[in-house]
Amino acid sequence: MAGVSEYQRANFARFSRIKGMIAKPSTTALIDAALLLRLVQAASDALFANRPTINALNVFPVPDGDTGTNMSLTLRSIVESEDVNASTQSASELASKMARASLLGARGNSGLLLAQLFKGIAQVADGNDSIAPSALGVALGRAYEFSQQSVPNPVEGTMITIYRECSEKASEREESSAFEVLEALRDDALDAVRRTPEMLDVLAEAEVVDSGGFGLAVMFDGMVRAITNTEPVAREIEVPMPSGRKFSGTVKSDFVAEAEEVDWGYCTVFAIEAENLDLDRIRDHMDRIGRSPIVDGAPGLAKVHVHMEDPGEALSAGIKYGSLSNIEISNMDTQAADWASDRREDIEHATTEKLDSPSIAVVAVAAGQGMADLIENTGLGATYVIEGGDSMNPSVAELLEAVEKTPSDQVILLPNNKNIIAAAEQVDELTDKTVRVVPTRSVQTGVAALLAFNLNESLDENVEEMIDIAGEVGEGRVCKASRDVSIGGHEIKAGMTFATFDDEIIAVGRDTEFVLGKLITAKSIDAEIITVYTGNGSKAESIQRLSEELTEKFSDLEIEVVWGGQPHYDYLVAVE
Amino acid sequence: MTIAVVTDSTSDLPPEIAKQHGIEVIPLNVHIGDDTFLDGQTITSDQMYRILPESKEIPTTSAPPVGKFVDVFTRLSKDHDAIISIHISSKLSLTYISAVNAVSEMVDTGVDIRVVDTEQASMALGWTAVHVAEKIAAGASIDDAVEIAQKAATRASFVGMVDTLDYLVRGGRIGKARGFVGSLLRIKPILTLEEGEAHPVGRARNRKKGVAMLEQMVADASPLDKLSILYTTEPEAAQAIADEVANYAPDNKPVVAQLGPVVGNYLGPGVLGLGLLRAE
Repeated sequence: MAGVSEYQRANFARFSRIKGMIAKPSTTALIDAALLLRLVQAASDALFANRPTINALNVFPVPDGDTGTNMSLTLRSIVESEDVNASTQSASELASKMARASLLGARGNSGLLLAQLFKGIAQVADGNDSIAPSALGVALGRAYEFSQQSVPNPVEGTMITIYRECSEKASEREESSAFEVLEALRDDALDAVRRTPEMLDVLAEAEVVDSGGFGLAVMFDGMVRAITNTEPVAREIEVPMPSGRKFSGTVKSDFVAEAEEVDWGYCTVFAIEAENLDLDRIRDHMDRIGRSPIVDGAPGLAKVHVHMEDPGEALSAGIKYGSLSNIEISNMDTQAADWASDRREDIEHATTEKLDSPSIAVVAVAAGQGMADLIENTGLGATYVIEGGDSMNPSVAELLEAVEKTPSDQVILLPNNKNIIAAAEQVDELTDKTVRVVPTRSVQTGVAALLAFNLNESLDENVEEMIDIAGEVGEGRVCKASRDVSIGGHEIKAGMTFATFDDEIIAVGRDTEFVLGKLITAKSIDAEIITVYTGNGSKAESIQRLSEELTEKFSDLEIEVVWGGQPHYDYLVAVE
Repeated sequence: MTIAVVTDSTSDLPPEIAKQHGIEVIPLNVHIGDDTFLDGQTITSDQMYRILPESKEIPTTSAPPVGKFVDVFTRLSKDHDAIISIHISSKLSLTYISAVNAVSEMVDTGVDIRVVDTEQASMALGWTAVHVAEKIAAGASIDDAVEIAQKAATRASFVGMVDTLDYLVRGGRIGKARGFVGSLLRIKPILTLEEGEAHPVGRARNRKKGVAMLEQMVADASPLDKLSILYTTEPEAAQAIADEVANYAPDNKPVVAQLGPVVGNYLGPGVLGLGLLRAE
């Protein structure tokens, strides 16, 4: 390639990729039918790609786990509609066809709310060949208004919030290109979704954000990528959670259990066709016989969505107004049970959930995220960690505060460091709660003691067993000397590694793994199981390798290597 | 008065013990994919446990149909005055319901049939049936037998140390043992069955400690009328425990028995456990 530098030639593939990724804002000022169809197709694909996450977020009004599927199928029915795909029509004609298709194909609450969006777009298209991008914000405002009318008790913290906020923010802006408009809509949607738990308690309880709202953000994201020709158009995007938390992939487990207990009935959806339908009258009727009714219409058409104990009742009522079609009935009890059972599987893989009111709680001191996770994970959902360790001892006040915060009247304290034991023993007198100290001198002993923690037993029984176990754990530590030091007759130079066992120096060397091996060799004679916690300097892959090497070298022993992420010590070892 | 004792295959009674006490064992059905087998007759537990880790879905079991109970009860009624039918917890299987329905089908025949839901499973159920058979052989009436069965069922207990909680989670039976799931450490959960679901008993740091815990439980539960050590896939490990706790068993001979599919499928391979009956 003439005129191309050596560097560029060598990196041609990389440059092509990068070039493709640079957003080329569309210079189209107006959205014609072809572009509108492309955008809706992109939105549909994007929803499909994010369907599982949207499903997993779904808790309101019924935790049936199908918002993602519903939204995806609703858009799919638009994209696959024959009318919609008929050639040569204006953007306005296309938009009206889309509105009708979305209404007929609307699934679930979210599908019906989506249909309001297409109704809004059809309205702002207003008979024109093309739609001005800035009209999209207005369309969202219309969608908000239509949603208010379709649902008797419109609730903030759901899709309608996203409609409203995006529309309000759009009206304050001056973008003109489709790209700018869509990008702003996407970003505003994500921002609004992040705040939905503030508006709707059930979302905060379940520790999720609104699923339908997230679906809208996903749709906008797909549209943005379509406009900029970014491949792939459909991609999974991260769920915007409040205060930087991450969506665990599932819903809080208490919520799962509660969801199973409520009697949900049948989700009954159907369309009524007749001239001069009185939507309000139909809606009031459905409100009297069922729950959460949504009734929406286009000329000659009403789409009803209602939750019924007896679905037949809704159909018998509906038939009084016109002829019925597109009837769908699903058993929400089964859905909720299926959903709950799927979520249970997810919960297995997420971090341990906390119990609401355990009879006994444990407060343990630990340094390092891995150690904290390990302690909570081993702690039966009744264990709380305070940050602390060798160089940072929590004060009596801090220990007391942690004890007071636990949801139990009986608390076991694990100081996990010899310098914290005395402070821990002060706490019982300062609180009305009953606090007992198991005088653990290291965090690895604390974990071993925690394994004896049993909520079926009394406080005394627990403390006795935990003290027994703590007394049997040999404590090993491996770390680097930060300066020259002389201990117990050993001269250790700065930068060398040394190992201690129960506070006595056992081995010194240059290589940390070598020193660890020497420690294990020295102390494994009567041992059954050795647990090695790797510090925050170690990488995940090295844990697997270390585990294999140690298991091979010490084939008589059971050795478990776990990530502790503790500061200061390369390895903490528990010998039992 | 001759009384026949009937139980079902979830009792995990070794065939020679069932035969010795004249106990009729009705098999449950085991469903693997589209095939159906009779538990302990057309499929063995060993075969089940070989398939288990590879199956996409946990093979399920179903209760013997009412007709099967009617056949057995009818046959037994020819040379017995009464029948007592002792079964697995109705929360775990419809076997008890099936038996009860069979009794109502036969109400016009005048045969005296009693059905007992032990709320137990495996050898906790098995030993209950054996205990009742022994008391009947010593002269208990049918009314006595029912009371004996109900009381024995409360003194019986089933405990298992599982290798992994995966099968319980997959099969949706994790119950109150949920707090044990997803451990970052390789610990061995020890569970019991209460009211038809898994209840945590404790956790062992490793298998060796778990075995020690099981052995301690035998000591704590004694004196015992009956003791069996249970396994799903490792008979030698079970035998080692049996040898260790032999002196707690009557005649110093604990019975080693294999856990059948109804409970075993939900616990998985590598399980070691206890089925015992405390003395009165």
